[in-house]
Amino acid sequence: MEVLKDASATAIYGSRGANGVVLVTTKKGSAGGAKLTYDGSIGSQSVLKTIDVLGAKDFAILRNEVLFDANPSRGQYQYLSQSDIDALGDGTNWQNEAFRTAPIRNHQLSLTGGGDRIKYFLGANYFDQEGVIVNTDFKRLGFRSNIDARPYERLTIGANLSINRTQAQIAPSGIVNSLLIMPPTATVYDADGSYTLRNPFENIFANPIATLLETTNEQVGLRTLGTGFAQYDILDGLQLKVLLGVDLNTRNDKFYLPSYIYEGSVNNGRANLGNLDYYSWLNENTLTYNKSFNNHNLNVLLGFTQQEARNAIFGAGAENFVTDELLYNSLQSGSTLLRPQSGAYAWVLHSFLSRVNYNFKNRYYASASIRRDGSSRFGTNNKWGNFPSLAFSWRASEEAFVKQALPFLDDLKLRTSFGTTGNLEIGEYQSLSTLYALNYLIGGNIATGFASQRIPNENLGWETTYQYDAGIDFSFFRNRFQFTFDWYYKKTTDLLLNVEIPWTSGYASSLQNYGSVENKGVEFNLRSRNIEGEFSWSTDLNVSFNRNKVLSIGNGDAYITGNYIIQVGKPLGTFYGTVTDGILQLGEEATKGAYTGNATPKAGDRLYKDIDGDGKFTTANDRTIIGDAQPDYFFGITNTFNYKGIDLSFLIQGSVGNQILNMNRQALEMFTGQQNASIDALQRWTASNPSADYPRAKLDPAPIFSDQFVEDGSFVRLKSLQFGYTLPKKWTKNLLSNVRLYAVGQNLLTWTGYSGFDPEVTSGNNVQIGVDQGIYPASKSFSVGASITF
Amino acid sequence: MKIKILIGLLTLSTLLACSKLEENPDALLVSEQFYLNEGQALSAVTGTYRKLYESGQSIYNGLFQIGVEMATDDYEAGPRARNAHVRAISGLTHDESNDRMEQLWKQSYDAINASNLNIKNIDAMTDGQISPAIKSRLINEARFLRALHYFNLVRWFGDVPLVTEPVSSLSGEQLYVSKATEQEVYTHIENDLIEAENLPNYLEYGESDRGRASRGAAKSLLSKVYLTQQKWELARNKAKEVIDQEGYDLFESFVDVFAVDKKNGKEHIFSAQFQGNSGYQGNSLAGRSAPADIPGINGDYSDALHAEGLLYQAYEAQDTRLPVTFTTGKVSPVNGQYYALSKPQFNKYYDESVVGNQSQSSKNLSIIRYAEVLLIYAEAENELASSPTAAAIEALNRVRDRSGATLYAGGSGKDAFRELVFEERRKEFVYEYQRWFDLVRRGADYYIAKLHAAKKMLAAARHLHFPTPQRELNLNPNLKQHPDWINY
Repeated sequence: MEVLKDASATAIYGSRGANGVVLVTTKKGSAGGAKLTYDGSIGSQSVLKTIDVLGAKDFAILRNEVLFDANPSRGQYQYLSQSDIDALGDGTNWQNEAFRTAPIRNHQLSLTGGGDRIKYFLGANYFDQEGVIVNTDFKRLGFRSNIDARPYERLTIGANLSINRTQAQIAPSGIVNSLLIMPPTATVYDADGSYTLRNPFENIFANPIATLLETTNEQVGLRTLGTGFAQYDILDGLQLKVLLGVDLNTRNDKFYLPSYIYEGSVNNGRANLGNLDYYSWLNENTLTYNKSFNNHNLNVLLGFTQQEARNAIFGAGAENFVTDELLYNSLQSGSTLLRPQSGAYAWVLHSFLSRVNYNFKNRYYASASIRRDGSSRFGTNNKWGNFPSLAFSWRASEEAFVKQALPFLDDLKLRTSFGTTGNLEIGEYQSLSTLYALNYLIGGNIATGFASQRIPNENLGWETTYQYDAGIDFSFFRNRFQFTFDWYYKKTTDLLLNVEIPWTSGYASSLQNYGSVENKGVEFNLRSRNIEGEFSWSTDLNVSFNRNKVLSIGNGDAYITGNYIIQVGKPLGTFYGTVTDGILQLGEEATKGAYTGNATPKAGDRLYKDIDGDGKFTTANDRTIIGDAQPDYFFGITNTFNYKGIDLSFLIQGSVGNQILNMNRQALEMFTGQQNASIDALQRWTASNPSADYPRAKLDPAPIFSDQFVEDGSFVRLKSLQFGYTLPKKWTKNLLSNVRLYAVGQNLLTWTGYSGFDPEVTSGNNVQIGVDQGIYPASKSFSVGASITF
Repeated sequence: MKIKILIGLLTLSTLLACSKLEENPDALLVSEQFYLNEGQALSAVTGTYRKLYESGQSIYNGLFQIGVEMATDDYEAGPRARNAHVRAISGLTHDESNDRMEQLWKQSYDAINASNLNIKNIDAMTDGQISPAIKSRLINEARFLRALHYFNLVRWFGDVPLVTEPVSSLSGEQLYVSKATEQEVYTHIENDLIEAENLPNYLEYGESDRGRASRGAAKSLLSKVYLTQQKWELARNKAKEVIDQEGYDLFESFVDVFAVDKKNGKEHIFSAQFQGNSGYQGNSLAGRSAPADIPGINGDYSDALHAEGLLYQAYEAQDTRLPVTFTTGKVSPVNGQYYALSKPQFNKYYDESVVGNQSQSSKNLSIIRYAEVLLIYAEAENELASSPTAAAIEALNRVRDRSGATLYAGGSGKDAFRELVFEERRKEFVYEYQRWFDLVRRGADYYIAKLHAAKKMLAAARHLHFPTPQRELNLNPNLKQHPDWINY
């Protein structure tokens, strides 16, 4: 695997290189006798942490408090009496009911070999993982074959084929949120052993354990990737290569909600079947010319590539089943058939490329390229984009005077480059005024109607990134220390954003090229072989500093979208919300009540800052910038030790200064008594505990997005730890050529102040960065395995 | 050999150069390919009908209740209505970022844009593409729907942008519209409805076209538009035209108004059409009002009667509207036991044929029905005379008579009669999206007095309108907030 980040190196990859390029070279066969390798491991994984929520007793007290506050005339024990409360234990711990320690298994077998004119690689793998949430899992069975052959002196041909089948049982969306807020006084099962259907209180949602255990939500995928190429040396140095690739991907979704759980009870069972059929082909034609003469080295490339993809989806479903026995296997047994759905999408990408690499005496390097890409996804006026690049470098260590002056240097290289790349990651048909079907009853019968989906935008075009880059590489003391430093400046223009537009237009948003953003930063990488010899120790350290800033946005200087603001001069991922200002205390109702946002303020309500200074707090007008999701810097350190057959390596990763929107916490700090609350509810304001941090419990709090839910997301983590032992050759030489036993841990230790499940796992999109809301929780894992070459 | 390989490779690379960059979706129509024949024009207007309630909590399928009617003396957010925005409207603490109000605005303009597209594109069709009669009918159906949505908007928000052409580009000129005055909006509504009076009488539509906007629907709505503006004479005359010429009548029995087998009957002038459990859309009000704690009913109980408004007590005991409008208890379909409710709940859309999920109720929602035309006539006629006329009294009594209420014998003055008509509207149209409009069109004093009497003490003059959504003010520099909602 090779990572390209330099502007000119990525430019030739065009649209696919905007965020750097990772080249993965698949395993190839090698000449020599057949070599069989087996690698297998078993292990287990578990959630990193659980969130502390109230137990049954504390929840019951809170609920009594809420009901008394809403209706004082009915007394203080409207939910449970004191004696009932005293009899309660901890109640149901919904997270413990759902989370488990789950096994992982992995087996890989490969065979490589070949002779003078033919080389092959054959591989098979099986991966089986149960999820950390009950009744979720993932299995993959794969096969790969790579063959290269040289039937004639000047002709090389090759074929790579891989087939993967995956099967997964997927957790329903929103389940993590339900696990957190399901009241602890509710039980998984009723007294008669059937499932408790739903939250018994006003906020209706289903029993998450019943949902998890009884819902069938299966996805089976089959993906076949194949490429074949032929390369022909027309003349010495002149090569023609034609490559053909195909990607076939099908997925079947199978879903059944039985009638005896809440979600299924309203419709008496629901079954859905879905099918996705994806097909794409790729054709690359390149002509390369290599020539060296009198210390001049020249490499020229010309090419044309094209790619086309088609995607078809289909879904059908039924409700009202007389039995749950048949699951999704008999849609016709449902007495209500759901409207079937289908769709088809296609895209095409054409590219012309050219590149010249030149160097003199392997000392002075120059490179220039230009790529012209046309994508079907853009508007008729802007389908094509041009992406040039230019690079120079100087290997100073080859100069005699440098060698003399700095004899300890092994390598010294100065680099600079400029390059452009394009982004086309939008859906299909986004520039067209497409219609969608909708139905209405006319004369008592369903009639099909059509309505417009968007305003056409024939100017929709490429998002382009211009990158400048300068760097230095040097290594010294016989390559014992290798040091790399990079500075870069990236400007992305014509940002592809789904922009909100006034509803008076009849539409809510429109995809537009709507702004520009800059990223600038430095990166250091140090590779050091600290100790060499029988005992060796090496360290690899990298640190990246990036600064992101919005340069322009539409016609104005700010654009608010949800809990975010995109504002000129501020980074993308800037949070926009209200600012908390303590808790309203007894006696302050008249003086500070207007800052609670409540029409009838009461001691214990949360206070907010009056940002616009109008003497009262309103959620719409008293918002400001309350943080951002961009880290100050992030880093990784890998240490590797070797002693005789023993190897140990560990990777520590960290991110510093980024913030996270902990939206799970917003749900858990509602203190409504209708759903469970975080353990912080114990510190809530009451007359006897005039807290300054947490508001009182009440039935109807408005959910207000504030800085309360913005948390520091900095962390340092032992990302992986690996310990291995290679058996001495003399033990194994008769039978096996190499045996290594190993143990691997992932995410074993984390140091963070973040209160959510995991600081590293956040969702969002290119603008709304760093949200933690109901995501499948991250896990740590530990496994042991063996790697054997026969 | 060399040449053969070379030719082979070159052939291979050029054979494939056949993909095109133009997008021609296989599964989607594009606007330019539409409105080419009569069938397409018909289905474009069908799409606009659907904008009466497109998906989820949509204008005529729940949003009207939670976004508008909650702010009256007769309704409140029920125990299961957990949405803070809905509870805010119910308690009159809503503000310019209330998301239900945003939906009222958004969905109405979406529907208006659909009408605008219909009107412009169908108008451009040639005689070869569409018959002149269908062409004019479809344009007028679209005009009727546009007028209906503008009539809602102008009453909810006061001055609003008057968009009468489809938005075709992202230019600022088209996107950043400013508000028109209420008067301008009303003039536009009247003009659309006057045009829509050219629609066929509802009986001229065949069975397969029942439910479309008709001449009677246009006239009835127009009389209501006049009434709202206190153009009494125009309102009375237009209502009279409906009574005399359109062939409508009251059902003999009130329960038939909501009967599934009597949909689009002689009393139904214009309704939102529902059909549950058919892979189509049910009337979600049935589910929203159904009891939550009776086994097997699975109701939401999120739309509730505001008991302090004393609506239930306003009926006479023998009034046949009472058991249709409310339920005080139900038998569980699961265990056969009877469960009494702690207070009456709405029952108009409860569909006995539906098991388990009342949101699949097949009952239609009346947008305007003949009983209302009679009451519009009674009200306008009364306003035009110095004391209640025989014609006004007769119109009121026809509505009362049908439900067994005591007939009005005459004798009270003009003001008292007006109150009687309003009280009759209140009892007749429970849960039919009329109450908020009836309160606010009487002015601030009336609205505030009624709400204060029902213990909604936060009601204030600004509540005669809803605030223009903050999102729209943020996105559109030419839009101004309603004056009552600035520094309130």
